[in-house]
Amino acid sequence: MSALRRMAAVAAVLVAAAARADPRPERGYGLPHDASLDGHRVDWLIHFTIIALGIVFLAVLGMLVYAAVRHRGAHVAAYDHGNTRKSALVVLGCVGIVVVVVDGNLFGHAVDDLNGHFWNFSKVEADPRTVRIEVNAHQWVWTVRYPGPDGRFNTPDDIVETNGLHVPLGVPVILQLASTDVIHSLYLPNFRVKQDAVPGSITRLWFQGQEPGEFELACAQHCGPNHYKMRAVLSVMEPAAYAQWLADAQEDARRGFDPDDAEAHWGWEWKRL
Amino acid sequence: MATHPAHLGHPELQPIHPAPTSFVRRYVFSLDHKVIAQQFLWAGLIFLFVGGTLAMLIRWQWAFPYRKVPVLGPLFLRSTGGVIGPANYQNIFTMHGLIMIFFAITPVLIGTFGNFLIPLQIGARDMAFPLLNMLSFWFFLVSQLLVIASFLVALGPAGAGWTGYPPLSTNIGMPGLGQTLVVLALFFTGVASTMGAINYITTVIRLRAPGMTYMRLPLTIWGLWFTAVLNALFVPVLGSAALLLFLDRTFGTQFFIAGAAAVRGGGDPIMYQHLFWIFGHPEVYILILPAWGIVGDVVSFFARKPAYWYKGSVYAMATVTVLSGVVYGHHMFVTGMSPLLGQGFMLLTLLISAPAMLLVFNWIFTVWRGSIRFTTPMLFALGTVFVFGLGGLTGLFLGDISLDLYLHDTMFVVGHFHFTMAAASFLGTMTGLYFWFPKIFGKRLDERLGKAHFWITVVGLTLVFGGQLLAGYAGQQRRLFDPFQYTFIQGLRGLNRWTSYFAFALFAGQFLFIWNFLRTVFGRAEAAGQNPWEVTTLEWTNTTSPPPYHDFDVIPEVRRGPDEFENPAVKEALGRDWIGQAEEMPEPPASEAGAAKA
Repeated sequence: MSALRRMAAVAAVLVAAAARADPRPERGYGLPHDASLDGHRVDWLIHFTIIALGIVFLAVLGMLVYAAVRHRGAHVAAYDHGNTRKSALVVLGCVGIVVVVVDGNLFGHAVDDLNGHFWNFSKVEADPRTVRIEVNAHQWVWTVRYPGPDGRFNTPDDIVETNGLHVPLGVPVILQLASTDVIHSLYLPNFRVKQDAVPGSITRLWFQGQEPGEFELACAQHCGPNHYKMRAVLSVMEPAAYAQWLADAQEDARRGFDPDDAEAHWGWEWKRL
Repeated sequence: MATHPAHLGHPELQPIHPAPTSFVRRYVFSLDHKVIAQQFLWAGLIFLFVGGTLAMLIRWQWAFPYRKVPVLGPLFLRSTGGVIGPANYQNIFTMHGLIMIFFAITPVLIGTFGNFLIPLQIGARDMAFPLLNMLSFWFFLVSQLLVIASFLVALGPAGAGWTGYPPLSTNIGMPGLGQTLVVLALFFTGVASTMGAINYITTVIRLRAPGMTYMRLPLTIWGLWFTAVLNALFVPVLGSAALLLFLDRTFGTQFFIAGAAAVRGGGDPIMYQHLFWIFGHPEVYILILPAWGIVGDVVSFFARKPAYWYKGSVYAMATVTVLSGVVYGHHMFVTGMSPLLGQGFMLLTLLISAPAMLLVFNWIFTVWRGSIRFTTPMLFALGTVFVFGLGGLTGLFLGDISLDLYLHDTMFVVGHFHFTMAAASFLGTMTGLYFWFPKIFGKRLDERLGKAHFWITVVGLTLVFGGQLLAGYAGQQRRLFDPFQYTFIQGLRGLNRWTSYFAFALFAGQFLFIWNFLRTVFGRAEAAGQNPWEVTTLEWTNTTSPPPYHDFDVIPEVRRGPDEFENPAVKEALGRDWIGQAEEMPEPPASEAGAAKA
């Protein structure tokens, strides 16, 4: 009887915890709050590009409006085919400036950000602190699998969670993604990352939370009528709280394990991609 | 004749055929490129209206989720009590995209202008293959009928997005017959486009009038010709993707099914994306190249000034045409593509912005020091430049992978491609319609209604798609039935609602055009005269409005480029600021010649 009562208590605590999972609303029209290690790289590049292109756009628009007002048919047009070497150089110069400043900056930063950070998986795989998690997407649920103490997936000690993802603060987290039905896309707006989950293959992404709290995990790829409901909550926890959560979840998983529930036994050997 | 390449035109091979007299041969199964152009025009405009109505439903849903749709709800959403449900919603946005791209903008921009203008502007009596031309329209009509049929079957039409990604677009995600019919419609419209493309390419190469060298072609023809090249090369790839998807849906093959649903290994869903976007990225240039050409000409015509660096514009369009085939990977940056491949696609994508910018600068330098006549077509042309600028520049963000990690599949993408494919293509189409309407129908549209239509449209488009860019910048994903399920999107309720109000106003403003158009076509209106805009190209200078069945009584002999404005010698000799492409320059008066000798 007491075991039952204890289980009910644990269940009540878990339900309460789930109800508390309440990501911060975003108020403004700007970028969502950045809670990640590398999100600022995206933000800086977006802002730089907005300002640079804003200047280009206003300058060109200004020329167009000035020309439209100034040359309203009040005088005779110039007879100019613009086919001299000088004319061509003026145009090529204008284009060249934008290409070098904006496109060049975008390309250079993107290559650095990708190879050094967002897609630098070898660095993260080598980090001893890295947390590895598998995510299985299906219509319209995110199922998440933690390897348990043995560090291997699809074993009886795995923790399985639905529409929730718990990660520790300040350490890299790698997710390997799969899908059982259609293509989904795991999107963490507050972390500026996104990765498709494709049936028949394993994809991956990594991120690192820099502040504790609850954040939204969204599906970004249309995956059927209830696509809009395919929402999960990512909890970034202080290391101590995370350890506690992991221990509790471990206990639940041990009790909840059902060897006959074939549906629940997904998971794959961690892919060295 | 000596200065003109003698191989061009073959006037002896283009005899004047008598016009058919029976109604059916004349207006239904017509071989006349001008009639086929009008058939595409009507078919396209009707579907443009349908696509626009579907857009209003999407906007209603984002402004007032779960509320009954006025007017349309009781008519079309009876099964859900007048409310848009999640399943209706996915059908609506899918069909909005497909209809607008394949069944509205494509037929009007390419079917109408390509058919009408190519023979008339190059000085030919018809297309190279008139029968193929007719078949192209009838295949297209079959595809439109399949789309209409898909709305009538159980479970509704397609719902996997306009891109139709499998496995969602296979029976796993979309079991209804509607999706199959739409896939079939795509195949048929692909066949129609390919037929048209072969015809356009051949006609431009073989049937140019004597003296119409490549570098004397109007920019419109260049735009349409490059479009045809892209269509001929890449639409068959879409056709093959559609066919394989059709087999997956109907005959149980597994080309694109993988994972748990696949039997014995299955296929590869990503393979479809490669096929789709090898076609799909050229497609966005297919939808803008004709508009670029039209804008290039119209800007020059109404600035009364030669097109600035004509050859530069031609080379830029050629460069875009070549590059458009090798940038498609930017649609797939987050599918798990190899990082090296991704970065290659990123570089090419960023590079394609250079020729596009070159075109914009050429247009602006054309207007610069011109003598602008602010007619309706000129306003629409300048509006096209404006919205294309916004669309092109926002594309740079999305060509960059690290920004794409955040922006991919958000409303930012939606805003970006609506500025280019929707706003710029639509305004480019309208530029062409207002400009060539007098030639097509022999009457003139009302200029005041046209200008009012322009202002409502350009302001409306900017606000609506600008609102989408802002929503995407704040992270809102696209294609959400109810975006406000997400806490982080809660703050965007006002933005989404205001964007919808602007969209409704934009839609309402289109009735100015519908009224103007129908009233002028079917009512009495001022006769246009042969060359109301006082411009230089053959369709205006060498034939009547509308042209006779055989286009030209005499096939013109072309002497100069399409943009000879404000030439001092012409002004001296003719007393006007323009001279037609095939017009003979009068000898200077004898007295002057004598004076010069003396």
